[in-house]
Amino acid sequence: MTRVMATSAAAGRAVPAVRAVPALQAALAAEDAAIFGYGVAGAHLSGSRKSAAEQHWTVHNEARDTLTAMISALGATPVAAQAFYRLPFEVTDAASAAKLAAYLEEGVTRAYLGLVAVSDRRLRAFGALAMQGPAERAAFWRGTTQAFPGLDVPG
Amino acid sequence: MLAASAAALPALLATTGCRSSDLFAGPDPLAGRPALSHDVITLQAVIAAEQAMIKLYQAAVDGRLGVDDLAGLLAEHRQHLGRLQARLVLPPGFSAASPSAPPFASPFASPSASPGAVPARVTIARLRAAEQASAADLLRRLVTVQPALAQLFASIAASDATHLAALGG
Repeated sequence: MTRVMATSAAAGRAVPAVRAVPALQAALAAEDAAIFGYGVAGAHLSGSRKSAAEQHWTVHNEARDTLTAMISALGATPVAAQAFYRLPFEVTDAASAAKLAAYLEEGVTRAYLGLVAVSDRRLRAFGALAMQGPAERAAFWRGTTQAFPGLDVPG
Repeated sequence: MLAASAAALPALLATTGCRSSDLFAGPDPLAGRPALSHDVITLQAVIAAEQAMIKLYQAAVDGRLGVDDLAGLLAEHRQHLGRLQARLVLPPGFSAASPSAPPFASPFASPSASPGAVPARVTIARLRAAEQASAADLLRRLVTVQPALAQLFASIAASDATHLAALGG
């Protein structure tokens, strides 16, 4: 099965309190997409940018393992990674690879922001803290910071 | 005539043995100002902190602190403030100002200075400390407020974290 490489837009929308497991599953799906995507992006990068991509790929693998354990601990089955993800645009060079990396990190940021809408305080704090890493990495690949990472607002 | 009638209402109610709550289904207009909700009080404090952050950045910009795109970071803090203020809707008679000083005044000022005071010379270390304190304060507060406000706090905290990196973190 092929999944379009994008996290649910609803994850980043301001919503009433949501249930924990679907929000964790959305974060896991975003991490899986990022792991796949960095494999594609890394092939078009070199030097320090390639090293950064490798480090970020490792971080996403660790985050995937953490989320998998959290979902299992809640008695649910973690969503499986897809064998292939359709890229949001063609990646042909270093510039489009960096653009893909930023896109991936923005998707992960949105997914963790979805966790901030759950009623469980620990999970909410976890989501808020976890979104800071991808927000920083997105800024790195984009080359600029944002006023509202993860939120669908201008700026 | 109307004003006189309104002023005489409590006395009239007392003589008839009625309380105002017997006549009105909604909030009692004679019971004084309603208490502000926890979310509103929290929002006021976060707005005050963001205003202090903007003063600090403005001082850094005015002092020509050598950081790339300092004005860009300042602009993002102004966006934070605008978004926060847009969420604040107060009943008539309430001040938008926070009843308390910013919770992280210490990064902004020396211990001898008044809370929230901007130091004469702003350093990168001071900006970094302020960004760190802001992000930590928002993370602490977001677990106690409604989900939509929590998400705004989380997003601003993440923005603060990216500013730290931009400042050389």
